[in-house]
Amino acid sequence: MTAPAPAPAPSALRQGVELARKDLVLELRAGEALRVTAPFGAVALLLIPLGVGSDVPLLRQLGPGMYWVIVLLFGVLVTLRQSAVEGPAQLAVLRLCGVHPGVRLAGRAVANAVLLLAFEAVLAPVVIILYDPELTGWPWLLPVFPLVAAGLALLGTLANALAQGMAQRTALGPLLVVPLTLPLLLGATQVPQAARYGSQPALWLLMIFTLDFAVAVAIGLVARHLEESA
Amino acid sequence: MRLAGVSVDIERVPVLRGVDLTVHRGESVGLVGPNGSGKTTLLRLLATLLTPARGQARLFGAEFGSRECDALRPRIAFVGHTPALYAQLTLRENLRFLARLTGRPDAAADEALALVGLAGVADRRAAGCSQGMQRRTDLARAVLTEPLLLLLDEAHTGLDSSSAPLVEALMAQVAARGGASVVVSHDRPRLTAAVDRLVEITGGRAVENTVEDAVVSVVEREGV
Amino acid sequence: MTLFGRRLPIATALVTAIAIAAATLAPPDQLQGELQRLMYVHVPTAWVAYLSFAVTLAASVAWLWRRTPRFDRIAASSAEAGVFFTGLAIALGSVWGKPTWGVWWTWDPRVVTTAVMFFVYVGYLALRQATPDPLARARRSAVFGVVAFVQVPIVHMSVVWWRALHQPPTVLKPGAPTIDGRMLTALLISVLAFSLFYLVVLRARVRLAVRTEEVEAALAERDQEPAGNAVLAPQWEKKGLRADV
Repeated sequence: MTAPAPAPAPSALRQGVELARKDLVLELRAGEALRVTAPFGAVALLLIPLGVGSDVPLLRQLGPGMYWVIVLLFGVLVTLRQSAVEGPAQLAVLRLCGVHPGVRLAGRAVANAVLLLAFEAVLAPVVIILYDPELTGWPWLLPVFPLVAAGLALLGTLANALAQGMAQRTALGPLLVVPLTLPLLLGATQVPQAARYGSQPALWLLMIFTLDFAVAVAIGLVARHLEESA
Repeated sequence: MRLAGVSVDIERVPVLRGVDLTVHRGESVGLVGPNGSGKTTLLRLLATLLTPARGQARLFGAEFGSRECDALRPRIAFVGHTPALYAQLTLRENLRFLARLTGRPDAAADEALALVGLAGVADRRAAGCSQGMQRRTDLARAVLTEPLLLLLDEAHTGLDSSSAPLVEALMAQVAARGGASVVVSHDRPRLTAAVDRLVEITGGRAVENTVEDAVVSVVEREGV
Repeated sequence: MTLFGRRLPIATALVTAIAIAAATLAPPDQLQGELQRLMYVHVPTAWVAYLSFAVTLAASVAWLWRRTPRFDRIAASSAEAGVFFTGLAIALGSVWGKPTWGVWWTWDPRVVTTAVMFFVYVGYLALRQATPDPLARARRSAVFGVVAFVQVPIVHMSVVWWRALHQPPTVLKPGAPTIDGRMLTALLISVLAFSLFYLVVLRARVRLAVRTEEVEAALAERDQEPAGNAVLAPQWEKKGLRADV
């Protein structure tokens, strides 16, 4: 009894790119992240000053921190969006295509990161207009945006996979993700401060990168176990 | 394909009990049984999407869950009773996505769509298509991926009289390739005419091979 | 599982009695007075919390490796104990903090990390709660148990750096720089007592998990026949309905 030769498969990179592209096209058509969650985040930024007082120096101080808190809290919802959910039938097709579970997660994470970058870009002008934060040392923020997006994208991908097929998915996901984003929040808020006061912003960037890297490695190691077989 | 004493539990509920089934190359098997008898579960098991709780299952001699078995997955086409399409992608995009994931040119996807008679509506989103059209697109998947094992759930549901022969044509194609088909259908006369033998599942416990009058002789060849 | 059998509760009771005596006999703190005796419960509670989560991590890794249900039970039971002890440690810390520093909460890295751990494992338990299938539950929670614990050192490090930048006033530092020998002895005995107590709790919880599974298995035994067997042909004729009209 000889087994037939397996069909030639494209590289994992090509598969990952295709998966990410599919996710982005779906999101573009559904518009959940940028047309629903982003305005929701903007509303939150608008409400905070009404709660704490519209004192200009106070808001100037609060602005960057509030921005990153909103990015993390609402960004989780971006990673848990409805178009990032495969039904059992679609999942069966993907599994039978011979796509490794790690590649599937990687493709999802890349799409998440792109969407979160866009999400950050939409909210940034809102916080600048509403809070007028101090922007000295802003070039240091340029690497912060993608690094935070990547970290949150990875954690969100993991939570989405863990909550696959659950009714409580959107309630459970944020609880699993948000406590672990603490280093992202501290890193993002400390980089510009460190730049301003002449200490070492690069160390904070390294901190965010370490988190991203550790989560990526951890997901890579456990991806195989996330393959549901029952 | 060979199952020996295979049992499957879903959420602790036993669905299949000690199933023995061997499907040979070039063979087509029809699965019949009442609602809830475990037909869909058996198909999902054959597709390697489920792992047996007990018993042995082999595909082309490769044990389920082994690396060799995983490598054979792209040669399995499983068409379940719910369409596996992304609702917000067009039919063409759906098939091209699959073509690219499996390393085939876009033209192959377009060709498969034309074959099932959907070339004219290929640029409509799946969400706006009828059940029958989605069903045909799912069958186009089975054309595209050139499977050696074709698994169809409720094969004739949702298909009009002009496209129902598509199912038989697909099965013939797979058999000609040296593969096998396992088909579930509630259209028993149609199924009986289409397959080499019928297998009845009764209460998920045992599979009895009931050879009916219309059955083509089963030639024992290599186990698939 | 007969981890030390009946001797474990007896030993625990004995060590606890000694710990209480030692904590009572130890001298009061020069600055904080009697209040400082909270240390003999607060520190061991926090220690046991971390111990529980470490056990959850080890059991999760073991489950992914061996797929034995026993490891899943240990991981889950230890996480439950851990959440309880973490909550208790935070509450006791607050009770100690209010009269000492005048605040219920301090942004000390250890405190913040402990709070993060509390929520991470509340999430872990919620994940288990939301997954009905035992195999999927074991798999998903083991994966989360591993990833979550790996992140904890990074969380801790980030808060340490953050505090270093914000230079906390030195008066707020808990405890004296040096510790009296009798105090240290009392503390160590307390840690031992709490660790033994943790073992008792863990063992009881694992046994309970086994019993729960037995009950569920017995219930499942009733429905041993595959679900399809109970599906009958429609009974429309009895209702006086006719198919040929």
